[in-house]
Amino acid sequence: MTGYFVRRFLLIIPTFIGITLLVFAITRVVPGGPIERMMTQIQLGGETGSLHRSQGGGTLSDEQMEELKRYYGFDKPMLSSYAIWLKKVLQFDLGHSTRYQDPVWEIIKERFPISIFYGLSTLVLTYAVCIPLGLAKGMYHGSTLDSWSSAVVFLGYALPSYVIGIALISLFAGYWDMFPLGGFVSDNYEEFSAWGKAKDIFSHAVLPLIAYLAGSFAVTTLMMKNSLMDNLSADYMRTAAAKGLSRSESVRKHALRNSLIPVATSFGSNISLLLGGSFLIETIFNIDGIGLLGYEAIIERDYPIVMGILVISSLLYLLGNILSDICVALVDPRIRFGGGRGA
Amino acid sequence: MNVFKNPVAKKRWQRFRQSRRGYYSAWILLVLTLCSFGAELFANNRAIVVVYQGQWHFPIYGDVLSGKDFGLDYSYEVNYRELKASLSEEPNSWVLMPAIPFSPLETDLIAGDFPPHAPSVDTRHYLGTDTSGRDVAARLIYGFRTAIVFSLLLLFFNYSVGVAIGCMMGFWGGAFDLFFQRIIEIWSNIPFLYVIMIVASVITPGFWTLLFIMAFFGWTSMTWYMRTATYKEVARDYVMAARALGASGPRIVFRHILPNSVSTLVTFVPFSVASGITSLTALDYLGFGLPPPVSSWGELLKQGTENLEALWLVGSVVSAMTVILMLVAYIGEAIRDAYDPRKFSFYE
Repeated sequence: MTGYFVRRFLLIIPTFIGITLLVFAITRVVPGGPIERMMTQIQLGGETGSLHRSQGGGTLSDEQMEELKRYYGFDKPMLSSYAIWLKKVLQFDLGHSTRYQDPVWEIIKERFPISIFYGLSTLVLTYAVCIPLGLAKGMYHGSTLDSWSSAVVFLGYALPSYVIGIALISLFAGYWDMFPLGGFVSDNYEEFSAWGKAKDIFSHAVLPLIAYLAGSFAVTTLMMKNSLMDNLSADYMRTAAAKGLSRSESVRKHALRNSLIPVATSFGSNISLLLGGSFLIETIFNIDGIGLLGYEAIIERDYPIVMGILVISSLLYLLGNILSDICVALVDPRIRFGGGRGA
Repeated sequence: MNVFKNPVAKKRWQRFRQSRRGYYSAWILLVLTLCSFGAELFANNRAIVVVYQGQWHFPIYGDVLSGKDFGLDYSYEVNYRELKASLSEEPNSWVLMPAIPFSPLETDLIAGDFPPHAPSVDTRHYLGTDTSGRDVAARLIYGFRTAIVFSLLLLFFNYSVGVAIGCMMGFWGGAFDLFFQRIIEIWSNIPFLYVIMIVASVITPGFWTLLFIMAFFGWTSMTWYMRTATYKEVARDYVMAARALGASGPRIVFRHILPNSVSTLVTFVPFSVASGITSLTALDYLGFGLPPPVSSWGELLKQGTENLEALWLVGSVVSAMTVILMLVAYIGEAIRDAYDPRKFSFYE
């Protein structure tokens, strides 16, 4: 099995190259890249400048154009500039943002704490709520609790989390004014006491967290309930009942562990959420995390940042998938990946 | 084809009908979809029927009628709302307007007020107007049509590519299988929404280009499923028997394997429809979707979040989405139950 996971890790390399090459190629053939942006800026600047200087030409000379292209690496053919970019990435150099002129890695690193805050809270809350709820729903199938919570779960299941987020922000922040309209902290955050700071973060975090939770909540709860119900009718539960265990005891000692297996598979995909955040929810709530950064970078055509975020999010996604499989292999000794003899 | 006489299919259909919620949801959704194809009859600034001096006109599907045709003093197209008011006194002339007498692209500015206008029965904007004075109800209906057509077409493309490639992968195996396995591995690891946003920001897509881009990145899940299903079927005895009888490759695939594996795809259809609608709306919301002035739910949502005091914008889109997606989810649940009835039991 170790061999299988080594192979999976090695497969990250071609997959990573495939993804980045694809997007790199797309950003290359696109009009409206950084050079065009700079040209329009200089043209606009030239117009205002020409008030003072009579001969202020707005356009760039060919020489300047060449220099700009060299600066952004647009002067070489696509594949060789991709090779240069990849080599830099391997040295942990993601280049400089064309918008802020700062190193991309620094900009992304600044946003990490916010995304991690939301990612971690979502992860913890999801498992803390969904596993007990799914357990209760599975054990008391058809009870009042089950049917009432089903309605809520189903709503979260049918609606995408961004729609829930939009509904929440317009009702609770726009209409009733109970929570702030977005952002991570208030503008005057520095003036608060420690308690005030915590309260401030909390009040900003309530609505986005509900929206984040809504996405994974329904799926995890249903998964937990269904797998528990599958296990409840398994033969080993009959054996447990036959040897005289009470129902709650047999569930706790036998069925619970087995029904956690499918939940473990979803663990890895949550890892990428942990850092990546959601473009939509961060845009809606105006949270300055990685998702919003990526969204703004696309709009502003700031390709070094776009590529940097792609690198990080696809690596996380790839690692998350492998991590899921490792989790599954850990909790379920029956599963053997790779299919080889004795592997 | 004897799919409908197949006892297994019959049984599934019966089980589907038995879950009332899913069955009625399917009917409601079907009716809503069919209605949306005739959206012109429900929300339009042209009249459905005009009877002028005993003569019948059907302006929606006929020629453009000018004001002169109705004895008015202008030669551009008639304003049917005004025509209705002016004809109300005349004998044997009347106008039947659609329930929402506004077209989705028409701006209707009310004097003394800035758009968005609040919902009101007097102005006949039952759900209010958006920031440029266009009727929200009309845009909702036309937006639903865009969304459902888009997601059905997307489903069609994804499934046909998925079934074709997946079947070939499972049937041929070998190098072809390995090659596509790697491709799918790359594809399924692409951060879907982000890459679509990047591509869409670059080429500002129209309806078909956006459809193509989404299909280009979305065909893999069905392919993977079909590959596994075909693999399973190929190993079974009846395929061996067909081979022994001398059936050709295409015959085995089309006569034997496909009918046995494709039917299960139905269980994925509702989820694909829902994800098609939600991702199109998400892209429109972020501004990377269909170009204006196409009516779309995402664009209305965007306006709504930018004008939170105009609660009717967000409210109507969110309610519409809730209704449609709940219907789709109920149908999905019923189909899944029909294919895989869960008999629940426990020991005590």
